[in-house]
Amino acid sequence: MNLKKWTAFVNNALWVLNPFLLLIAFFSEKLKLGMYLEWLGKMHPLFLHFPIVLGILIGIYYLVDKKGSVDSNKLYPILVGNAFLASIVAILGIFISKQDSYDDSLIFAHQWGGIAIAMIGWGLIYLQQYNQRFKSNYILRVEFSMVYLLVIIIFTHKGAQLTHGTSVISFPQKETAENTQIIKVVTDSNATLYARAVAPILQQKCVSCHGTDKVKGELLLNTPENILKGGKDGDILTANKDKEAMLFERIHLDITHKKHMPPDGKAQLTREEVAILSRWIKAGGDFKTKMNELAKTDTLFLLANKYTPADNTKVEVKTGLPDLAEYNSNYCTVNYLYYGSDAIDVNFFQGTFYSRDVLKKLEKLQDQVLRLNMQGMPLTNEDVNIISQFNNVESINLNYTKLDLKTLEPLKQLKKLKLLSICGLKFTESELTNFLKGSTIANINIWSSVIDKTQLEKLVARYPKTKFTIGDNMESEVLKINPPTIDQDSSIITKFLDVKMKHPLNGVTIRYTLNGVDPDSLTSPIYKNTLRLTRNANLKIKVFKPGWIGSDIIQRNFYKSEIRPDSIYLISSPDQKYLGNGAKTLVDLELGGSNFTNKKWLGYKDTTMKFMVNFNQPRVLHQAFLNSLIDVGSYIFPIVSISVEGSNDGIKFTKITETKFPYELTQKDVMKDIKTFTVDFPNNTSYKHYRFTVLNVKKLPVWHPGKGTTAWIFMDELFLN
Amino acid sequence: MNEFLEHGLNQNRRKFLSKMSLGLGGLALGSLMAPGLFNASNEDELFANVLPHFAPKAKRIIYLFQNGAPSQLDLFDYKPLLQTMHGEELPASIRKGQRLTGMTANQAKFPLAGTKFKFSQHGSNGAWFSETLPHLAKMADDMCIVKTIYTEAINHDPALTFFQTGSQVGNRPSMGSWISYGLGSENKNLPAFCVLLSKGKGNGQGVYSKLWNNGFLDSIHQGVQFSSGEEPVKYLTDPEFIKRGDKREILDEISALNQESYKEIGDPEIVTKIQQYELSYRMQMAVPEITSLQNEPESIVKMYGPECLVPGTYAANCLLARKLSENGVRFVQLYHQGWDTHGNLPSEIVGQCKDIDQSSAALIQDLKQRGLLDETLVIWGGEFGRTNYCQGALTKDNYGRDHHPKCFTIWMAGGGVKPGVHGETDEFGYNINSLPVHVHDFHATIMHLMGVKHEEFTYKHLGRRYRLTDVSGNVINDLIS
Repeated sequence: MNLKKWTAFVNNALWVLNPFLLLIAFFSEKLKLGMYLEWLGKMHPLFLHFPIVLGILIGIYYLVDKKGSVDSNKLYPILVGNAFLASIVAILGIFISKQDSYDDSLIFAHQWGGIAIAMIGWGLIYLQQYNQRFKSNYILRVEFSMVYLLVIIIFTHKGAQLTHGTSVISFPQKETAENTQIIKVVTDSNATLYARAVAPILQQKCVSCHGTDKVKGELLLNTPENILKGGKDGDILTANKDKEAMLFERIHLDITHKKHMPPDGKAQLTREEVAILSRWIKAGGDFKTKMNELAKTDTLFLLANKYTPADNTKVEVKTGLPDLAEYNSNYCTVNYLYYGSDAIDVNFFQGTFYSRDVLKKLEKLQDQVLRLNMQGMPLTNEDVNIISQFNNVESINLNYTKLDLKTLEPLKQLKKLKLLSICGLKFTESELTNFLKGSTIANINIWSSVIDKTQLEKLVARYPKTKFTIGDNMESEVLKINPPTIDQDSSIITKFLDVKMKHPLNGVTIRYTLNGVDPDSLTSPIYKNTLRLTRNANLKIKVFKPGWIGSDIIQRNFYKSEIRPDSIYLISSPDQKYLGNGAKTLVDLELGGSNFTNKKWLGYKDTTMKFMVNFNQPRVLHQAFLNSLIDVGSYIFPIVSISVEGSNDGIKFTKITETKFPYELTQKDVMKDIKTFTVDFPNNTSYKHYRFTVLNVKKLPVWHPGKGTTAWIFMDELFLN
Repeated sequence: MNEFLEHGLNQNRRKFLSKMSLGLGGLALGSLMAPGLFNASNEDELFANVLPHFAPKAKRIIYLFQNGAPSQLDLFDYKPLLQTMHGEELPASIRKGQRLTGMTANQAKFPLAGTKFKFSQHGSNGAWFSETLPHLAKMADDMCIVKTIYTEAINHDPALTFFQTGSQVGNRPSMGSWISYGLGSENKNLPAFCVLLSKGKGNGQGVYSKLWNNGFLDSIHQGVQFSSGEEPVKYLTDPEFIKRGDKREILDEISALNQESYKEIGDPEIVTKIQQYELSYRMQMAVPEITSLQNEPESIVKMYGPECLVPGTYAANCLLARKLSENGVRFVQLYHQGWDTHGNLPSEIVGQCKDIDQSSAALIQDLKQRGLLDETLVIWGGEFGRTNYCQGALTKDNYGRDHHPKCFTIWMAGGGVKPGVHGETDEFGYNINSLPVHVHDFHATIMHLMGVKHEEFTYKHLGRRYRLTDVSGNVINDLIS
């Protein structure tokens, strides 16, 4: 037969197929299929591609062919073929819909949509053959094909959703919390075995085909009720004497077996998961057994306890209580009091960032808030009104919230309120009295730095039923103020030195003297911002503040380094560990500080310290100052004596002076200090060379741990005048 | 094992991290609040650590650690027998072969040394205090004095490590790190664990940063040591040409780079770094108002003593601790050095007590009057006690004491402890007669006060589960009100 005849045959066949299609569509519930027709129905997903592609191509053709250049006779077989395929596929679709349960609404739309596609395709044959307007009017053809294409796309899409799930062709989405698959795992101590291990497995591996999106085999595995109901083949949990339970059997079948579950190509169960499900079924497949009812040595318990869903899933640990994350912010923490409790603990921090909306949001939890901390928040009566809705709150902290007691009136209606903290709030006696009237709050903290303590005590004595914490304002205490600090390391004056002094408290007066007399609060000069020293000074400072006892006196010596030697060298070498910077250390104008290992100090122990100071021209020296460290605990003791000899030729030396320092240290004395030893030169003879010998303590005293051994001396600067 | 598994499963990491791109604040927030849930390096711990287990009594801890071991016999444990037997030999029946440190093991004699200080009783429980602690004596009714703490360690390093980490062997997380890991910080703008150091003039022993180390926990749980100078936290203010918004953008960019790096390498330190940048960004806003001691009213200054305004002193640290704690820092730890009175005890201990007496008492009072004492646990104590016999030469007025682990005194206040005097030592002050409290028991009790079951709060590392109390420790109910 040739094409023409085939086309005619098929065209006529359509007059049988389409009414048949409508018939079985309308009466589909009554339809019962045999084995071969069932098999045929399974061909629907295969054949549907042909009419879809053909239909779309036809639609596109009509869109692009403005002039209708293709002859109707040529189009005729194509259109007939298209209609035929569409009808066959629709019939097959009806067959397949009888076999598995699908979502009813999707089925309905898809089925009738498919039928519509077949009908439109059928009608198109006649439009193209006989309708003049259609053949000549391009616009009409465009409208037609738009409708045709749309119908095809929409209703076949529904078909895709049936097979692959409702999100089959949707736009790519960032994986957010909403669309990540969430496996809920309940782990609190009261969790049932089912909730802990069985349900998550089913949810992750089974529900995609046995859930609300698709209901394969008429079996739903998403809730206990549905599991018990079973599916097309009946109950899946019970075994009988011939067979195992169906669920048990299916998961144990070899993967090549047709009935193996999950089907080949989908995510498979792990060994542990198979073990859990099998043992659960063998143990009775019970939904109510709790985890804590199982023996801790029970393999099922151990497996279930260890079970965690595989990767690619987000795990949500549920206590059954709603998550509080939405109420938390950077400046407000909202937590359950403890894991499993529904009582809530609220804390606000950083008053500058306070936002009333955050508090307002908590109204949703108003019955659960047990403790509320709003210390330091800038509150107004609006906030108090919100707070007074927290019916079950037991403790509220409103310290430093700058509220006044009148505004707090609404709080009195909170019957469960046991503790209220209002430290730092300002109030008068009468305001407090009014507030306390009719209040049932058992504990109130009202420490305040502005209200007189005795006054408060009298006031609260009138309310013996309420426990007050008043605290102490220390008004009656008069303490000694701490001494000021001199903010300077250097004690050396080159041309001048600006001394900076500091004290941490406000409102203090620092008084100083330079003449060695102790400063007093009336006559001594006041230190303003800076003090300039130009010559040697013995600075004494003392701090005064009204209401405080004056501080201890701080003393510091400042030295003007007028004369610098032209050269200096060490005759005897310091100890290897404390070489410092050689002789330069003594004249580098850098004080060593209290750490004697910092290479700014020269340390001598077993060798006697000797050094030579040289001038190019003979000079008279009046005074020499040696700055030295005392650190009793580290065996560093004061200098015993300094002797100086002078010479003009470097060979013959004359003794100038020897100064002894009878410095008896006892155990109680200061452990660490920096002290300057002064040598006065009696006569005015000038020399070019001066040789210094500095002696250290040869035997440490009895009370010292190193008694009997030699002490150290440490020197860091030499000043000459 | 888990680390390997998970590096191979980088796929999982990427999914996990995509949550990070939703907002850094979110990540730091989560981890600061309930860090266990974010510790993805240990998947099976996800379920174990959701704390607190039950209603806590204390929400925060301030631990005033007296480094060097204060002599309990001269402060809290009054033993008049030692005064009557001053100079006599320690009986072997009392010593029972207790091992000695290398410092006194070679002593020929062990003469008993009675305390030089006068003791008196205070408070409704008749607690004994020496004359060196007048301010603390006034707070006796709030103090839970435990005279019978004991340990096995006899030298500073292992003893300190034991107290801070629950084991004499190092490399375990410190108490503060456990608490930070379990409970997180209340205030997201501050670290959960802060450390403040100060030094007294007495014989000092060092403190090591391993004492506030995070061990095998994430390094975000490390104790944050504040500087002892004028600026407890340096570089808080940005340079003038960087505005806050700019800073935010800079941090976002840096964090994006770090995240990429993390996806490649998987080093958990990178996550910590991201979190720390985030935390320090917020600390810039939060810290200045907290560390500014200038605005404290004069009554506070008087209460702590005017030294509290001098940064770096113990008093200043106490005041700062109160401020940090009331702003939501879970665990503030102070270390005050200088208590190691092997010699010259009478003079050294007076200085030490002067450092701590007024301010420790003031801390209790301060918290109390703000209504915070019930939820803040204050702990004061050292790493072991001191011997009743003298180390070195004994004179009428001067003596030294060596280390003594078998009994010593710690006191606690607030946070649900029961005020009073607990435990009794024998009349020689050498052995415990009743209510022994081992370091593990001490830790277990503290955890209990914070609402944590110490046996269930574990972390799996290198194949076994660790906890602060290691494998022992009982909650001592006598200490809990």
